[in-house]
Amino acid sequence: MDRRSFLKVIGSGVAGAAGGSLLAPRRTLAKETFSEFYGILVDTTRCIGCRRCELGCAEVNGLPLPDISELKNETVLKTLRKTSDIQYTTINRYETEKGTFFVPRRCMHCNQPGCVAACPVKAMRKRESGHVTWDVNCIGCRLCMISCPFDVPKNEFSKAFPRIQKCNLCYDRFNKGEMPGCVEVCPTQALIFGTRRQILEEAKRRIAANPDKYVDHIYGENEVGGTSHLYLSAVPFEQIGFRKDLGTVAYPEFSTGFLYAVPFVFVLWPIAMLGMNRGTKKEDGEAKEEHSGGHEDKGKH
Amino acid sequence: MAGEKLETVAVVEQKEESPKIKSVADFLDFIKKELKPRGNIATPFNIISLPIMLIGYVFIVLRLVFGLGRPITNLSQEYPWGLWIGFDVVTGVAFAGGAYVLCFIVYVLRVEKYHPIIRATVLNGFLAYCFYAGAIVLDIGRWWNIYNPMVGNNFGVNSVMFLVAWHFFLYMMAELVEFSPAIAEWLGAKKLRKILSGLTIGAVVFGITLSTLHQSGLGALMMMAKSKIHPLWYTQFIPILYFVSSIFAGLSLVIFEGSISHKVFSHQIDEHHHKQYDEILVGLARICSVVMFGYFFLKILLVVHEHAVKYVNSTMGFWWLLEMIGFILIPCFIFMRGAQRKDKGLIKLAAVLTIMGIILNRLNYTFIAYNWYVPLTERYWPSPVELVITASIILTEVWTFRWMVNRMPVLKEPPAWAKAMDRH
Amino acid sequence: MRRTVLFLLIGIMYIILIAVGLGMVYTVGETVPVKEPPIMKPDNRISIAHTEIFGKLERPQVIFNHKKHEEALKKEGCNSCHPVNDKQKLLFDFPKKVKGKGEKAVMNAYHDECIECHKQMSRDNKKTGPVVCAECHKEEYTGLKLIQYPVVEFDFAFHDNHVKKLKEKIGKDDCGQCHHTYSFEEKKLVYKEKTEGSCYYCHDLDKKKGPELAAVTKVAAEKGLTMRKASHRQCLNCHLEYAKKAKKDEKVGPIECIKCHTGQYKTVAELVKVSRPNREQKEKLYINVENARLKGVSFNHQSHEKYSKTCRSCHHETLKACKECHTLTGKAEGGGINIANAYHEMFSEHSCSGCHNVQKARKECAGCHNYIVPMDIATMAPKQETCGMCHTGKDPLPMPSSLSTAGLSQDKIKEVTVKVLEKEYEPAKFPHLDIVNKLAKISNDSKLATYFHRNIQTLCEGCHHRSPAATEVQKDSPPYCRNCHMIAFDKKNMNSIRLLTAYHNQCMGCHDAMQLKKGSSIQFAEGDRCVDCHKKKVGAPAELTKARNQKVYEQNKKIILNKWRPE
Repeated sequence: MDRRSFLKVIGSGVAGAAGGSLLAPRRTLAKETFSEFYGILVDTTRCIGCRRCELGCAEVNGLPLPDISELKNETVLKTLRKTSDIQYTTINRYETEKGTFFVPRRCMHCNQPGCVAACPVKAMRKRESGHVTWDVNCIGCRLCMISCPFDVPKNEFSKAFPRIQKCNLCYDRFNKGEMPGCVEVCPTQALIFGTRRQILEEAKRRIAANPDKYVDHIYGENEVGGTSHLYLSAVPFEQIGFRKDLGTVAYPEFSTGFLYAVPFVFVLWPIAMLGMNRGTKKEDGEAKEEHSGGHEDKGKH
Repeated sequence: MAGEKLETVAVVEQKEESPKIKSVADFLDFIKKELKPRGNIATPFNIISLPIMLIGYVFIVLRLVFGLGRPITNLSQEYPWGLWIGFDVVTGVAFAGGAYVLCFIVYVLRVEKYHPIIRATVLNGFLAYCFYAGAIVLDIGRWWNIYNPMVGNNFGVNSVMFLVAWHFFLYMMAELVEFSPAIAEWLGAKKLRKILSGLTIGAVVFGITLSTLHQSGLGALMMMAKSKIHPLWYTQFIPILYFVSSIFAGLSLVIFEGSISHKVFSHQIDEHHHKQYDEILVGLARICSVVMFGYFFLKILLVVHEHAVKYVNSTMGFWWLLEMIGFILIPCFIFMRGAQRKDKGLIKLAAVLTIMGIILNRLNYTFIAYNWYVPLTERYWPSPVELVITASIILTEVWTFRWMVNRMPVLKEPPAWAKAMDRH
Repeated sequence: MRRTVLFLLIGIMYIILIAVGLGMVYTVGETVPVKEPPIMKPDNRISIAHTEIFGKLERPQVIFNHKKHEEALKKEGCNSCHPVNDKQKLLFDFPKKVKGKGEKAVMNAYHDECIECHKQMSRDNKKTGPVVCAECHKEEYTGLKLIQYPVVEFDFAFHDNHVKKLKEKIGKDDCGQCHHTYSFEEKKLVYKEKTEGSCYYCHDLDKKKGPELAAVTKVAAEKGLTMRKASHRQCLNCHLEYAKKAKKDEKVGPIECIKCHTGQYKTVAELVKVSRPNREQKEKLYINVENARLKGVSFNHQSHEKYSKTCRSCHHETLKACKECHTLTGKAEGGGINIANAYHEMFSEHSCSGCHNVQKARKECAGCHNYIVPMDIATMAPKQETCGMCHTGKDPLPMPSSLSTAGLSQDKIKEVTVKVLEKEYEPAKFPHLDIVNKLAKISNDSKLATYFHRNIQTLCEGCHHRSPAATEVQKDSPPYCRNCHMIAFDKKNMNSIRLLTAYHNQCMGCHDAMQLKKGSSIQFAEGDRCVDCHKKKVGAPAELTKARNQKVYEQNKKIILNKWRPE
């Protein structure tokens, strides 16, 4: 092997290794801070379906105010609604054998959100306080929508300058020391806000104190690696619109397998190919090493 | 049984001298001359494609003005990715995989047999990436931020999309470097051409590495949609499936597109090359059939591994079987048969079926087997605007390809000085 | 050319397959409404399906018209199909003989007896039933639910009627006509006086029994004597006997299925005036346990008889006294449950506390009692006064007089205006006195409530739940909710309830539990329900929130659009 080719091989290998390690996802240790994740505990046995949370949310976020009069509620609650680009939270009504239950759904603020892992420009971020927020450097690729197991992020398709809209746990209000808009206005305290540790304790306390009232499961404790929105229910969760097949693996783990293979490919592929290229080289004088296109008359065929 | 009858045509001699460009004025004159159309303008193809392209451009402006809502696209919150990502980008990139496969065969393994088509394939790949990157710009909602992943407005290194974006960009550069000797020949820039040829093997190796990763990366994009993709399609090894299928997807497109090019540009190719092309077809068919056979069994293995066999007995199972048997197994056998009998017709048929199968497969992951349990009223099908814009992008690419092939030494012989350079 | 055509055809076929496939795939998400299988009225017909043996049926069930067969075989009598025992009593089993066990044996038995009979009659040139499969296993019966007859409730009215009628016919009281017990020594049924009880005691094979009765039910199970079989054997044989002897137009016990299985049941109220079976039970009992901690309880058995539909509500295993099986320390006969728990078990249907808790869960009472933790001797240490309500010794406490608000200071409690949280709504005017009066009336209408609500202050504790009535009455400041419930959230204590929630949960919770139309969360009234309690302020919230909304929106817009580099 001559000097030039040696340098080429080494160069490619180093470039590959460097590039690969640059692109490999890093598991950085969290800084030693004292902030905890905050979240909301939703007790569906307390929700009366008044939809004031929808109104409160719309008020604090500058969204169109929903009509929550009784007459309107009666028609609106007949169909199951999803959140949308102008509504960050919705109440749905479910008839079960234990009675009628109302369930507010919104972003679950997962501990390890799929949307945050999916975002190529870190527009979706998980803040230290647990809030998952969207920012304006978003490029609108909508991979966050694909990656969310709860189908939460909504794109403003109707706009020329679309944003991704979803509940952000009132991050701005939190920084001012205020409660999220929905928690503030709930008349029956079906929503309570606190650190994830606190609300998890409270949820467990409620189940232990009222074993016949609640199903012994906190939705969001372990689902998709844990979320900051926890739910309590009196009936099995499938009956009130929750998916039970999401597993307990955090969603970013699904793509780490591939991402971890990247540095290997970056290092091994060039080496293997250059090796093959050198290995198939015919003796000098009989053939040329590199040529690019064009017809080569070897007189052999 | 012989395939189609070949027409003997006279070889076009390289009548034009290589242009001597010494200044910017010379360069502009040269470009002006080259931009003039050659040959008949009012061909049937032109008459049909030009209106579509023009309407498409108007629609593109409308999309930029009005955004992605209806009636521009039928995208919805349930189906955030539709025809543009599913077909233009993901399928298009799979088809452009012929470039890296053939580069691997020709440059790394040094199989000279496939040399004659390498330039056309690389050009196709390069144009494909250029235009499909354009399709991405069209599809993403906040296109003015598209440079963000590049300039580092927060590198989202955990994101597969980030990786795919960078790879697209770098791969375009690599393919440009691979193809650039032809451009240099066209411009008559001898020194430039020498430097660029020296960079080819590096670009090839880099390109194949990048290709492996972004072909599989496109599959990895869907890894977090586990709860939404039907279990018969979702596995932990989607990236590998995408990578393997891109091999025979690319080669099938090479066969398909090559057959068309060879007919359209037959005046540029001499008889010797035509005969060579038949052998190339057979070789490609053999490769495709082997890889497809392996892919078929890999898919079956993965379905068994994921305990998804019970889903075969359902509507989605029927759809899966249609894709597997009708569009993978059957073309595999037709390829084998065509290669055995050196039957070009069979090979071309198999290529078309494979292409349809790959389109189906990629669209399955994007909006057919994705959110497959959603009721009919909320389902996605492409809007007319999306279809027209897609058609106009493809047609523009074809026009560009045609323009370049008619002027640069892609299918025709390179200038004598270039050949001489290669011999030393 | 031919090949091109072939390839084109292949292409078209593929395209059709794709189109069809896509059509199917896109409609996969359509939910097909599940049709409930229609329910057939019994009409003296019987479903022959034996799903317990056959599982999922290959052919549809057979719906057997018993009345038709009865009329057709009137002369031949019931024993043409049903076997007879050595005492000439009909055993309402069918088929008469089943050779062996399992699906095939049962199927063959039915076919042998039914089809053979039909064939025989057809040979005798009589009009008869079908012999072909599909004419019994009719296609139209596919998917139909099996015919089910409603259970017969042999309530006190029936019992009383039977006692009187049989006394007329026989001339004396003979309980042994129906009642019997099983003697292990003689291995047969005998009648012992003063041991009469419910058929369910021995023939309810689904219920787990204590050791004594379990032996008997084992025998019953061996003979296949479920409630159904036993009651048909016992009742129908007797009815048939009298039907044969009956004169024209004389009313006797019915022998038609739907005449007994009417599905009509009497309520507790309708049975109040009916005499209970006479087992020489005492009117008043003194329930006293030796070596118990508390005094005994004076129990009025006669008045309590009126509150249940059957004796089995309390005498769930036998008609003996509770303490015969439930001893101080518990024994096997009592299922290990000791006497204290037997009487105080909170959720049992048979214990004193359990039944009282069921009464407290009625909607008239649930408003307060939903939130009052019921007395539980296991976990909560009840107060001496509470125990003393029942454990009074030989004589019960005297019935207190009816509750009334006359003695309270009316002006203080007439109407309370709740305005501390006033924002979007006008202050709520709470008709305090009216509510207390209504609750007093409800209490006065129930003997149980009157006995336990000994004074009006007990009712106060329904809403003023944490402060004892005695202290509140003395203080100058009234027992406001805001004395304990903060307006703001308590961030350190997740469990604490803020004032807004206290009002809504307490008020609406009570209205919900009492299933009131106004002011409840579950009943959708017409119009805006919030207005039931407090009127909306004029001009708010539409204008107020719109103004607030606009300001917030402007603020947000600035933040979102002006910031492109995140922190």
